[in-house]
Amino acid sequence: MTGMSEERVDAHAKVTGKALYALDLTVSGMLHGHLVRSTRAHATIRSIDVAAALATEGVVAAITADDLGDLFARYGHIVADHPILAIDKVRYYGEPVVLVVADNPYAAADGASHVRVRYADLPVMINPEDALAEGAERIHSEDYEYGDRSFEEAQSTLGDSNLAHVADLEWGDVDGAFASAPHVVESNVTYPMLYAYAMEPYNAVAWFDEGELEVVSTAQHPFQVRSDLARIFSLPLNQVRVRSPLLGGGYGSKSYTKVEPLAAVAAWITGRPVKVATDVDGAIHTTRADGATIRVRSAFADDGAILARDFDITFNTGAYADNGPLVLAKAVNRCYGPYLIPNVRVRGRAVFTNTVPTSSYRGFGAPQGNLAGELNLDQAAEKIGIDPAEIRRRNLVPPGGRHLPGKRGMDADLVGDLELVLDALGWKQDQKLPLRGTGFGCSASDAGAFPVSTATVRLFPDGSVTVLTGSTEMGQGSRTALAQIAARELGIKLDRVRVVQSDTAATPYERTTGASRTTTLTGLAVQRACRDALRKLEEIGAEKMDCTIEEVKTADGVVAGPQGELGYDEAIQWWFGGVQGEITGVGVVRRAGDLKELPPFWEIGMVGVTVTVDRDTGRPTVEHLVTVGDVGHAINPAMVEGQDLGAATQGLGAALFEELIYDGPQLVNPNLVDYRVPRTTDVPKRIDTIIVENADGVGPYGAKGSGEGSLNPIGGAVASAVARAIGVWPNELPLTPERVWRLMQTRQVSDIDS
Amino acid sequence: MSVLPAFDLDRPVSLSEALSLISEEAVPYNGGTELLLAMRAGFLRPDRLVDLKRIPELKRIEVADDQVIIGGGATHDEASGHDGIRATLPVLAETLSKLGNPRVRAAGTLGGNLCFAEPKSDVATVLMALDASVRLLGGSPDGTTTRDVPVAEFIVGPYTTTRTSAEILSQIRIPVDTQSRMTYMKYQTMERPTVGVAVSKSPNRTVAVIGAIGPIPEVFQAATLDDLDPETIAAALDVIEDLTGADDYKRHIAALLIARAIEKVAAG
Amino acid sequence: MTSPISIKVTINGRATSHHVPPRMILAEFLRDQLGLTGTKISCEIQVCGACTVLVDGKPISSCTYLAADIDGREVMTIEGVAEGDSLHPIQQAFVDHNALQCGFCTPGFVMATLALLAENQNPTEDDVAHYLEGNICRCTGYRPIIKAVIDAADRMGTS
Repeated sequence: MTGMSEERVDAHAKVTGKALYALDLTVSGMLHGHLVRSTRAHATIRSIDVAAALATEGVVAAITADDLGDLFARYGHIVADHPILAIDKVRYYGEPVVLVVADNPYAAADGASHVRVRYADLPVMINPEDALAEGAERIHSEDYEYGDRSFEEAQSTLGDSNLAHVADLEWGDVDGAFASAPHVVESNVTYPMLYAYAMEPYNAVAWFDEGELEVVSTAQHPFQVRSDLARIFSLPLNQVRVRSPLLGGGYGSKSYTKVEPLAAVAAWITGRPVKVATDVDGAIHTTRADGATIRVRSAFADDGAILARDFDITFNTGAYADNGPLVLAKAVNRCYGPYLIPNVRVRGRAVFTNTVPTSSYRGFGAPQGNLAGELNLDQAAEKIGIDPAEIRRRNLVPPGGRHLPGKRGMDADLVGDLELVLDALGWKQDQKLPLRGTGFGCSASDAGAFPVSTATVRLFPDGSVTVLTGSTEMGQGSRTALAQIAARELGIKLDRVRVVQSDTAATPYERTTGASRTTTLTGLAVQRACRDALRKLEEIGAEKMDCTIEEVKTADGVVAGPQGELGYDEAIQWWFGGVQGEITGVGVVRRAGDLKELPPFWEIGMVGVTVTVDRDTGRPTVEHLVTVGDVGHAINPAMVEGQDLGAATQGLGAALFEELIYDGPQLVNPNLVDYRVPRTTDVPKRIDTIIVENADGVGPYGAKGSGEGSLNPIGGAVASAVARAIGVWPNELPLTPERVWRLMQTRQVSDIDS
Repeated sequence: MSVLPAFDLDRPVSLSEALSLISEEAVPYNGGTELLLAMRAGFLRPDRLVDLKRIPELKRIEVADDQVIIGGGATHDEASGHDGIRATLPVLAETLSKLGNPRVRAAGTLGGNLCFAEPKSDVATVLMALDASVRLLGGSPDGTTTRDVPVAEFIVGPYTTTRTSAEILSQIRIPVDTQSRMTYMKYQTMERPTVGVAVSKSPNRTVAVIGAIGPIPEVFQAATLDDLDPETIAAALDVIEDLTGADDYKRHIAALLIARAIEKVAAG
Repeated sequence: MTSPISIKVTINGRATSHHVPPRMILAEFLRDQLGLTGTKISCEIQVCGACTVLVDGKPISSCTYLAADIDGREVMTIEGVAEGDSLHPIQQAFVDHNALQCGFCTPGFVMATLALLAENQNPTEDDVAHYLEGNICRCTGYRPIIKAVIDAADRMGTS
């Protein structure tokens, strides 16, 4: 039941259109909200005139921050700096200012078009350099409540500036190592701002029922959203219910609170259910992914051993913190690569700017740092005269080695993974063909977030089973993988298992669904819940069969004793005296035992690409893509391959096509025509998605997480491949045809052929 | 979800009825593939829309030896799939079969495409190379007026044509010259093309039309193919810099495509 | 106040009549008036294909089409594709090839594939890639979708 590519349990519903997403939900008596967004990047609000909006037929309310009374009118899981509706000032173009609520979406939109807001401009800072310049206007000048003590401590060191967060890492004697090193190579790279484009945009429906708040949202972390909502309304956690149905994509961009507070305050004010749904433009103006500039200097011995690395990372983190500080912290941990390096220094800064706030996006800081680190490594290999494969072999941390002091030893065979990529690519160092290049890259992410997870398994008197988990299904396949684990643990057929997810009132606590953690950590919780349930069945069996519990075994749906056996259904029916009752097993995962060491697992990225470049237009084409998913044990191999290819494709998006562009205070391309995502015609001709299973993870049956690893090193691999194709090193993504063409112009045409 | 502004809808079943309805505030539409998006974005707020899809004359396609007439309401699919058009105007048929995506091709019309005058359009570029004209019908108290305007004179600026708000584009009229050779090539890496180049050579007319690169397609006529110099033309173009390319890159690609198109036509 | 338009339509084989405001787009009509939420709304500028339905057999972006304009026409949505309890070969192929993850783009891809295979019973992978270039998937990386479509063509050809 695991290790098999079972049909997804939600496949049938999704191909027939029966699958329901939050956006599809209609609640009786529901009103519709339409946002009025700021048309300034940085300004104080002088006045808001909603009279004409309120006079529009069908409009029920036009809500501003002034209408929120005694509510705690902000949210934010790290720091509560994010106003539900702008309070006195706006900090980015597109920030929500007024929520118009009406009987139907037309009236809400018409009403919203009549709202008049007057602003007094403040200096606008789009780039971190501007925001950190001497005397720059403070984007945030208030003290906010912190949800996370470690971030609060960091914040207190930031002083009077637009720094959102600082994360530093250091060990060894970096300056000493550089001073005596035979080779020092520096690289400066730029990573673009991105839009995750989950095809279902942000939306939520909220209503109050006897003072209890209910929300249905396309949220990846319903329990985190619950906390923010409870604080806003001063409600205990058990009086806030957040449910997530199937999500139409997430990729991290639906982590944490987004539009739920808007729907909730509208419900609070109007006394009716309210739906707030953004369109793509609104979604882009809600959350984006960090763009970054990174400088890396690395010191090498003559044989290519890395003696030291020194990184300076600057993230443009937008107008509000959201999850930005954690993404920065992870970028810092991941940038220098999965290599054993005696001297490391990383300085990371996330800077507030008057742009769309950033939050999690697949890769979580790794892609940005990886572009710098791996490109730098390849440039060093060229300079020193070593095979880029060999320079990696020499430095990759071996299994058990600790490349990040204080953290779990490496739980993967990275050299083995690299050899698989090189083999699939047919890598030959000396083979140089004009306008054709191969690149490959490695990454290891301290993934899994924090190991807190719970699950419940309910065994019914007919032998069918329901698994309850607070995790969400956003396409990654949690609903299926967890069912497979339960089926295997209980020894029953997969079609006897149902998984019910993501309801803070009905399913047990799940901290988050992200960081590639669900198979490993929620999987463990499900395993433990199953074992708890089986233990109870064993007790029942021992009592019925009048033997000791040690003489009883559960397997294949049967409780077997020395002189007989009972099906699970028979055992339950006997226990309860009829076809009634149920047996519940509970599983809890916390940071103890196997999971004491962090991270719970290292998520490996090991990829390669071969790229050709058009001589005349500069247009790069990926001819061959290789990914290795080192997952310990693939619960569902087809789903692992699907996640690896999907992740790599998003990585190719950033490498070749995608970038959000600001021109002055405003985004130039907040739509799918001008923001270009990969399409069917961009699929590489040859794709190898390889799975490695060494049962070396802490998860069920040796499993580790998957889903982000194959994105992380794509940017660097593509950049190096292009460099080898055209003889010039790029230093920014995306490598659009024009950018590549420009790089080619810096060389003589004849050089490229040689 | 974003919504359209409010408007009233008329659905005439004849050209004369349609002509009596259209005005500055009552805008004709067919597939709506451009107009509805412009309305949703807030660029246009007509009081009324006049649906032309129920008017049979607008869908008529006639192919004769020396002329092809395509009704303004024929969809890209209908025109590109028409046997007569495929035989006599293969480049036009092929261009229409590749533009946009299948949904745009199924709903969008040539008439609508020309009237919207989107600078990135392939259709206008190819029709200008074919020396096509549009027939505009206008309603007046004295009856229906008819005027034929070459496409090159019809499109005068980005999203701007010489059609008055009282006129309907009823036909695209394309001369057929069996001795002409033509090709259309475009370079596209984003959702919209960077540049489209049409080159046509016939005994009486040799022309290069460069579109999608500036506000409107530009026509360059010469005596022979040899007299069309890609670099000179590329340097002379009115180029709009945008996300599909900066000025120098666009001119470079334009020159590249012009050279390739000339070579292809010369090779016959 | 604008005047509603009276329409008579056949939706997934069932003839019905309705009154719709002119400004209501087809996707809104299907989802909000008829409860046929299988058709999705995403980019709203007709480039992603999530809203694809068939109108008189032709693929249409229902996000950029007036509800009024289906008057007198036949509309097929994703809800009308399966044959009773059995999946259509295209749907079965998508399931078998793992050609979906979050599933939000899937109805649009199925409808587009229906249109493609009606036009070309034996497409090559290139044909499929070019036809489906107008549909976006953010999850799968497309390869399983292309394989599913080729397989579906095969199954439909032999049935």
